[in-house]
Amino acid sequence: MKAPTSVEPMSQRMTVKFPYKRSTGEVTGRFLAGLKEQKKIWGRRIAGQGVVVPPNSYSEVDAKTGGEWVEVNDEGTVTAVGVVAKPVADLHPSDTSFAYVLVKLDGADTAMAHIVRDRLGELRVGSRVKAVWAPDDERKGTIRDIACFQLIG
Amino acid sequence: MNQPPEERVKFIQTDLVLPYHYVAGDYKALYLRALKDKKILGSKCSATGKVFVPPLMSSPDAHAPCEEIVELPDRGIVTTFCVVNVPVYGRDIELPYVVASVALDGADVSIYGLVQECKPEDVEMGTRVQAVWRPDGERQGDHSDIKYFKPTGEPKAPLESFIHRL
Repeated sequence: MKAPTSVEPMSQRMTVKFPYKRSTGEVTGRFLAGLKEQKKIWGRRIAGQGVVVPPNSYSEVDAKTGGEWVEVNDEGTVTAVGVVAKPVADLHPSDTSFAYVLVKLDGADTAMAHIVRDRLGELRVGSRVKAVWAPDDERKGTIRDIACFQLIG
Repeated sequence: MNQPPEERVKFIQTDLVLPYHYVAGDYKALYLRALKDKKILGSKCSATGKVFVPPLMSSPDAHAPCEEIVELPDRGIVTTFCVVNVPVYGRDIELPYVVASVALDGADVSIYGLVQECKPEDVEMGTRVQAVWRPDGERQGDHSDIKYFKPTGEPKAPLESFIHRL
């Protein structure tokens, strides 16, 4: 038979889930414990790299292990911005417009990825931001223990 | 305290969630609705006469339109297969089980299906199989309407008859 020229549309919503449970390891595990228990952000001074946040257990320059723990400030400078105007539910870390940012925290030599939720129109590379911590009973030992960063001033 | 806690966080749950809105398109919609009526539809290439199932609007080799819809029988040949011995998240079938490529009679490509009602070691390349459908009233117009394929007991098909239809 000849294919019909008009077919009633058919569609389906479906969700693919990859339920990963990841082992943190010694260094990331203590970094996350610092967020949860101390509301502190820890980096490690690593040969050839300065203070790395979040910390690695090894140097990316010479692959040697080791490093001294260094607390860094929860304020820093934005080094990159990517605004997500229309987030996809469950996929993105926010239900409302937000921006992915890289933040170089004061005392750190590397920038870490996080999000900014408010005043997106004012957000620029070079903006000063500060961590907004999740409440004590909501911190679980994940990077989301920092709820987001917000512009200072 | 100039150290992070000694007691580390051992695991983090990092679920990746991908929400899709899949739109079937005309041919796939026809194909899926037909499954509800225990019919398997394919499309025939206007240039080469090859039959594709599920139906395609144009053929990938001749780049010609496939305007003719054809109905295919629900029986065919296991062209290639895999015995699954490892549980897969979201699939609740007793191990081991067989997943096969089945070339329906008259089709030039294979569709995927389970092969059941036999031991995994009884499945071969060339085993003749037929579809076992969900009962009337339980079919919903998706690929699970074919519960699985089962061997027909007919003689094995020779390799030359399906080697180009894997």
